[in-house]
Amino acid sequence: MDEKQQLRISLTLSSSMQLIYLLDTVISDILERMEFDEEAQVNVNLAVIEVGTNAIKHGNKEDITKTATFEFIIDDEKLTIVVTDEGEGFDREEVADPLDPENLLKSSGRGLLIMEDCMDEVVYSKNRTGTIVRMVKKRNHPMP
Amino acid sequence: MQINLRHKGSVTILDIEGNLVGPNTIALKNIIDDHIRSANGEPVYMILNMERVQMMDSSGLGVIVAAYASIQRNKGRVVLLNIGGNIRSLIIMAKLVTIFDRYDTEAEAIASFL
Repeated sequence: MDEKQQLRISLTLSSSMQLIYLLDTVISDILERMEFDEEAQVNVNLAVIEVGTNAIKHGNKEDITKTATFEFIIDDEKLTIVVTDEGEGFDREEVADPLDPENLLKSSGRGLLIMEDCMDEVVYSKNRTGTIVRMVKKRNHPMP
Repeated sequence: MQINLRHKGSVTILDIEGNLVGPNTIALKNIIDDHIRSANGEPVYMILNMERVQMMDSSGLGVIVAAYASIQRNKGRVVLLNIGGNIRSLIIMAKLVTIFDRYDTEAEAIASFL
């Protein structure tokens, strides 16, 4: 692939958790084609499920009149995933730390931690219509 | 996802097959909750056999953490059996290694309750 060339794949889902499996199908295919190693494939797959759950369940509150958009941008060096929902957004600094001993036995609150652990870069922002999460996974070697 | 429930003495073993992610986790949560409810406050001794679970997300982690908390409340115990590298890494990252006892064979897991 030319150094400056990018492939873009976009997927827009109604906010139903039953559609999460579609993300798994799409990202698994992308990761295989990009020849990420097995560990990276599991990590990115997990991060995509987490970001999808955040967008659909927590952002859009599973309101099927709202959508979440997933854009996968493939280039020679990395995979960039940009997820946009229609939620009210959140302040990352305000989210409780799931690694704090007093939170260890809570049944929720680990999604952001997993995303950040599995990806090389995760950036949260907000625009007029919702929350935007941008995640990057770098390739260990250039695209063949 | 498939979950098979079986008993060995007083120990309940859940053989889980499939990825513990998203909506899939609800089935496991319901089975565990039903089992705890049917124990009527008596201690529950449970093994979660994850030999055939390749991937688990924060929802799956939440289900097993909630099971741990509920079962411990009634002086019972839940342990993990045959967890693979991906799930082991997740548990380490989430600092849950000190919470969950983990075993590589069913015999060892059952013996841990004696």
